[in-house]
Amino acid sequence: MAWKEVLAEPGSKVIMLGNVAIARGALEYGVSYASAYPGTPSTEITEALSYAARMLGAPYVEWSSNEKVALEGAIGAALTGIPAMASMKHVGVNVAADPLFSVGYMGVPGALVVVSADDPGMWSSQNEQDNRWYGVHAYIPVVEPAGAQEAKEAIIEAFKLSEKWEHPVIFRSTTRIGHTRVPVEVGEINMEGIRRRGKFKKNIDRYTLVPAHARKLREELVDKWEKISEHLSEHPLNWVEGDGDVLVVGVGLGYRYAKEAVKRLGLEGEVKILKISTPVPLPKKLLLKHAERASKILFVEEGDPVVETLSKSLFYDEGLHVRVYGKERGPIKRTGELNLANVTEALARVVGLDYARPPAAKVEISLPPRPPVLCAGCPYRAVFYALRRAAGKARVRPVYNGDIGCYSLGVNPPFQMQDTIVEMGGSIGLANGISHVVDGDQVPIAIIGDSTFFHAGLPGLANAVYNRSPMLIVVLDNRTTAMTGHQPHPGVGVTASGQPGVELDIAQAARGLGVDYVKVIDAFNIKEGEKEFYEALRYVKEKRRPALVVARGACILLAIANARRQGVKYTVYRVNLDKCTACGLCYRAFNCPAIYAGDDGKARIDPILCTGCGECAQICPFDAFEPVDEVSEEWLKIMRTAKPI
Amino acid sequence: MERRVLNLVLVGVGGQGIVSLANVIANAALENGTNVLVAETHGLSQRGGSVIVHVRLGEAEAPLIPEGEGDIMIALDPLEAARYAHYLRLGAWIFMERKVTPPPLPGIKVPAMEEVKNALERAGFKVNVIPAISEASRLGNPLGANVYMLGAAMSSGIFDGFLTVESVERAIRRVLKKPEKNIMLLHAALKAVSSR
Ligand SMILES: Cc1ncc(C[n+]2csc(CCOP(=O)(O)OP(=O)(O)O)c2C)c(N)n1
Ligand code: SF4
Repeated sequence: MAWKEVLAEPGSKVIMLGNVAIARGALEYGVSYASAYPGTPSTEITEALSYAARMLGAPYVEWSSNEKVALEGAIGAALTGIPAMASMKHVGVNVAADPLFSVGYMGVPGALVVVSADDPGMWSSQNEQDNRWYGVHAYIPVVEPAGAQEAKEAIIEAFKLSEKWEHPVIFRSTTRIGHTRVPVEVGEINMEGIRRRGKFKKNIDRYTLVPAHARKLREELVDKWEKISEHLSEHPLNWVEGDGDVLVVGVGLGYRYAKEAVKRLGLEGEVKILKISTPVPLPKKLLLKHAERASKILFVEEGDPVVETLSKSLFYDEGLHVRVYGKERGPIKRTGELNLANVTEALARVVGLDYARPPAAKVEISLPPRPPVLCAGCPYRAVFYALRRAAGKARVRPVYNGDIGCYSLGVNPPFQMQDTIVEMGGSIGLANGISHVVDGDQVPIAIIGDSTFFHAGLPGLANAVYNRSPMLIVVLDNRTTAMTGHQPHPGVGVTASGQPGVELDIAQAARGLGVDYVKVIDAFNIKEGEKEFYEALRYVKEKRRPALVVARGACILLAIANARRQGVKYTVYRVNLDKCTACGLCYRAFNCPAIYAGDDGKARIDPILCTGCGECAQICPFDAFEPVDEVSEEWLKIMRTAKPI
Repeated sequence: MERRVLNLVLVGVGGQGIVSLANVIANAALENGTNVLVAETHGLSQRGGSVIVHVRLGEAEAPLIPEGEGDIMIALDPLEAARYAHYLRLGAWIFMERKVTPPPLPGIKVPAMEEVKNALERAGFKVNVIPAISEASRLGNPLGANVYMLGAAMSSGIFDGFLTVESVERAIRRVLKKPEKNIMLLHAALKAVSSR
């Protein structure tokens, strides 16, 4: 199992992913409740915790239906006096922002840590937001580890801080913290802690945020904030190294870049490094103490210039005139991830040294791009193919309102069937608006995954029914949250700790919300898909109301994993070269990665990549694709019913 | 001067085992008492996309290798070698797989291995072409091209002082399935490449 390191022997040193180290730290502290919604780069924290829960019987771990629900659950648990955490990617915090902005007012008698995994560089996200601003905005302290090397210790400190102040804490990770593997020395897991049960004690003045209570709590909050800032000036995760009139403030992972840049320029001991892992609220005393003695200050932080901006305001208030370098006015690049060469250059400029980047080679060759693509055997390929043909036949000009999931890959050729992608649930949301302002032949088609449907699709759908929005909603029910690594969700009825849950039925949910036209189709059956999409589009055009089609077919990776476990074999397909006419439909318009063109232009199948889905056999006009062995009925069934293991 | 940091760039295509190779190297470093940082690409890149993993051995602090400062590259695909070669210092060795895995996109032009090799050499790199995929298959472990490639790269001696063959063997036993088959591949590569 990929997560077994999370339970490594106390006292041992093991290689761990930063996210696994975060999970281990939470267990060592004794977290009793952990909720989350998957999202890169946060997912492995909860994967590792659910592994621990399966093996140890505790703590309580859940995949929630979305981030708001995850945070609300964790707040509830913390109100019963136990340590709780909610983990999510940076944009997930936007979904959870409503409770987040108020939980600081009431505080928590247990401990509450909200893990926000930010993604500078946007390796797998739609934006580059820096969630430390949430801490500033919502009066919630932020702990930010100095790299994966410090992740385990820092999460423990985040819990301790929350416990001490009975106040929520944001733990801000980033891609290069969560997804960096380092040696980690592990301690004892707090078994008593992870098994702790809570008890809710009434405290109406605090836990009911009616205006009269909130006003009082707001006064307390502002007061507490200053006290926390004082406390953080003495915090063990913040320290000073070296001495000199140039001060380099290394925040979180920025500290590692600062430290290495100092080494590279041979300045060890000659400049002062102030390492800060508690950026919010600003540890004012600590900063002032060192800023007052500095002639120049360089801020190195991942993301926005948060500490830099807050510090400048502090310096102004204190009448301190000192030259500040960083991201607001350079020389550190404001967008993307920190870069060691850029930080070295910046430091050299501040101290007045010459530094030239090593020459970068120019390789003169034109390379084809290699974007991620839908897997060979992905049910979505069949759905996109059928949907496009149906839209053509129904004579509609579709607006494909896409969403976030593997199907976002439909943005690439040959399909290019994602005209908009904003955020989770945005497909139905945007289609609502479009549907009311365009004319008859333009029809919005919202394409939404099953996990996304439960996450944020339901309110949009209620709106579509209520306001009679003429749109087609295609729910891609692949039995999992695939893009983030196959987590279960409410539609599959397995919980994070591997227990049976209740399986919610998407079609029934839609009917319950009042959608009159609901169909469930086999995603792998292209002919059926084409016919059903055609009819649904006609309905939308004629009745001017929403129609919803659930295309059900398991993510092929999940199907293969299920088949392996059950000992079911599938046959791969091959090309009958006597039948193939080299028309190219399969490798151009259908574009399965397992199919390629031979030198004669005829199709070939790579048997290693082929997953035996049988989609190609349905689209070839010449029946050139044939199974190598007999097609197993059991496999066909697994392709339609597999669940996360 | 003794090298204090070794920057290793691992590239390939999602599914080729780049991340698990990085895990072997990280565990070997731990076995050997060498500090290590491995920055991985997750998420989207798993769907057959291009993958780069930064491995920093020794006294490194920051997780990412700056452009122009990689000391060696292991590439399980020639196109990916060219895509990320700007991470390497001039004169660095590239241990490059012979077989090109074409991206599954309609209507694209895919350069041949020789073209890539020539372009990389013209740009100032030393290229060692290794038939790791076919050798691993021939030796009965088609998924072992990653380990074969590590063996080939180790024969260059650049890992001396950072990793030993024994530490890699122990790491393979710790983290890979079918460890004996992989260790056999490691040795086959060491032998094949050093005797050339
Ligand atoms: C608010 C928010 N939370 C989490 C994510 C991370 N995320 C990206 S794709 C995805 C999976 C969506 O699952 P589903 O709709 O079932 O599509 P699939 O990947 O299975 O095709 C998630 C959770 C996100 N982008 N935004
Ligand atoms: S992981 Fe599953 S859903 Fe995603 S592209 Fe592959 S087969 Fe499709």
